[in-house]
Amino acid sequence: MGKKKKRVSSKVWCYYCDREFDDEKILVQHQKAKHFKCHVCHKKLSTAGGMTIHVLQVHKETVTKVPNAKPGRESTDIEIYGMQGIPPDILAAHYGEEDDEAPSKVAKVEITSTQLVGGAVPRPLGIGFPPQSTLGAMQPVYNPGLAMPPAGWPIPPRPQPWFPQHQAVSVPPPAAVGLVQQPLFPVQNVPPPVPSATPSASQPPVQIAPPGLPSTVPAVPVTQPLFPVGGNSHIPPQVTNFPRGPSLSSPGEQKVSLESSYSVNNSTGNSYQVPPIQGGTLVNSHSYASGPNTGGPSIGPPPVIANKAPTTHASNEVYLVWDDEAMSMEERRMSLAKYQVHDETSQVSDNYLLLFRPNGFGVDLSRLTPLVGFTLQFFFKIQLFSQCCIIIEVLPM
Amino acid sequence: MTAAVAPVAGRELSNPPSDGISNLRFSNHSDHLLVSSWDKTVRLYDASANVLRGEFMHGGAVLDCCFHDDSSGFSAGADNTVRRLVFNYGKEDILGRHDAPVRCVEYSYTIGQVITGSWDKTLKCWDPRGASGQEHTLVGTYSQPERVYSISLVGHRLVVATAGRHVNVYDLRNMSQPEQRRESSLKYQTRCVRCYPNGTGFALSSVEGRVAMEFFDLSEAGQSKKYAFKCHRKSEAGRDIVYPVNSIAFHPIYGTFATGGCDGYVNVWDGNNKKRLYQYSKYPTSIAALSFSRDGRLLAVASSYTFEEGDKPHEPDSIFVRSVNEVEVKPKPKVYPTPPA
Repeated sequence: MGKKKKRVSSKVWCYYCDREFDDEKILVQHQKAKHFKCHVCHKKLSTAGGMTIHVLQVHKETVTKVPNAKPGRESTDIEIYGMQGIPPDILAAHYGEEDDEAPSKVAKVEITSTQLVGGAVPRPLGIGFPPQSTLGAMQPVYNPGLAMPPAGWPIPPRPQPWFPQHQAVSVPPPAAVGLVQQPLFPVQNVPPPVPSATPSASQPPVQIAPPGLPSTVPAVPVTQPLFPVGGNSHIPPQVTNFPRGPSLSSPGEQKVSLESSYSVNNSTGNSYQVPPIQGGTLVNSHSYASGPNTGGPSIGPPPVIANKAPTTHASNEVYLVWDDEAMSMEERRMSLAKYQVHDETSQVSDNYLLLFRPNGFGVDLSRLTPLVGFTLQFFFKIQLFSQCCIIIEVLPM
Repeated sequence: MTAAVAPVAGRELSNPPSDGISNLRFSNHSDHLLVSSWDKTVRLYDASANVLRGEFMHGGAVLDCCFHDDSSGFSAGADNTVRRLVFNYGKEDILGRHDAPVRCVEYSYTIGQVITGSWDKTLKCWDPRGASGQEHTLVGTYSQPERVYSISLVGHRLVVATAGRHVNVYDLRNMSQPEQRRESSLKYQTRCVRCYPNGTGFALSSVEGRVAMEFFDLSEAGQSKKYAFKCHRKSEAGRDIVYPVNSIAFHPIYGTFATGGCDGYVNVWDGNNKKRLYQYSKYPTSIAALSFSRDGRLLAVASSYTFEEGDKPHEPDSIFVRSVNEVEVKPKPKVYPTPPA
């Protein structure tokens, strides 16, 4: 039996901070911990609105912004829960971005899908293609190279030519999702958002998914935002029978994250999962022990920020325990009186600072500055070595 | 034998050094542990038996030490000397000198030479078989852009990390010039560099709670794998406290690695899956050094204040040797989508 091949490149993501997660459960935990947490008593609420009401009633304070949210996403009026409630334009923009960053993923999926096609997946083959041809016109973005993949998805719904709309979506396979996203949305209207709320699937393909879907899909599309609308709540569970394949996307995601800018997280999660674009995940549920924060993978090219770690949305100041760039901890420790080395040729004096540049001639004045400040507290002993050339004396003031 | 501080922290070695620990290493042949300290001594312990087997006193703080074989080793001193230590006879002599404190020492089995890095901005290679005295033992001097802070060897490669965030990669077979001259991809002072046991790259840590995973392969494909991650940080009262990552140690078998920071925690990471595998409970003070035993079953942790906040009263310096459980260091298999039938 053909296993369902699911595209994981588009995982669930948090509306407030754009971070991505493996499944919606974790996303919800993240939102509760980061965005819906009362800053006074740390109680976790279930929505932003609920949190503001709690703070107002219990602590008599007004909350105007969602904590840890990116600018433009801070409104407490929008009802978000997991992936539900995200305005369609934001949703589209998110996946549109994903487009640009993951061409490699598309290629990968394409390859594996073609294998599927070759395999025992007869049905889609027969049925999937015809729609394709019609689609050709519909989706100019359609990559001819991706012709195969769609068929590769052995998904029962395919044969049912119900929603011409949906077909359009389903065919441009998961592989093409990245490419086709944008044109698709205007066509699609709403359906995608719903299924995409599910942890596993990528957008349109999701409809393809479980046979059960078709019946509910039509009902769903209409409702946006999805919030506690009865029908919607059924969708996620149905779709979760998609096998989750994080690794499929992970290599791609790695690339994605590599290409994107330095990690922008102030995450308190304890694992540094690949999760893409933002490069960080708050996965508190995965913590093995509470402890120091570990952020997501940041990339080679160092941050442009001077003394601030890349923690933008949380306005945390950063305090470096060791901030002396000029000297290492051992060098500073060595300069203490108790570690001074005495050999036969050394003189001991309490009032002089000796600077020498052992390898060359003259004094390394660039090293004078950091040490001078230091000498205000310490008296240094002189070390004389045979190679020493020029000595200067600095009287501490 | 002293009772364990707590089963989780591991067994504390008796007779620890009386001042800070600069480095500790397990032998490649046994469970002997060589420890260098700011109290001017180099001590040899049998970690499993928790017994001090030997002690050498130097003229100044000892900043690094390494094994040659199970019966001898080398030390790098703040008195600018590189010393050869013979454990069985308790004898030592000076292999050579630098012009400033010697910060690192390594022995390369590949070329049979001792390599030392110093704050005098040079790297020197020594032949340990020569009689004592520089004229017999010094093989070469290689100048570095800045003071050497950390070095690491794997196979025929040597990575040197200096002040000013320079990183030089040498091929030991041709030391005349570095194979690669690089810059640390971290924006802050380099603290420690360690090569992967599989020889494909190295991990580099900085004072800003970050570790970068780098690769020797300079091609596009090779460099695309590199990444960095934040670690050893604490967030409290609206600000992030960022601790230097003092030490990195690779598990010889699994290739996962442990990092120790000034926050007193040791974390074990899976570099390939980019996940943290484990975090040991907090040690009394900063972690100055880490070392896995040759079979990866023991981890020695030097819990020793590293003066990141100046000279201040601190917890006593101690060494913990803990047995390592597989679950703490073994990488978890990647989760792949169920393959098509």
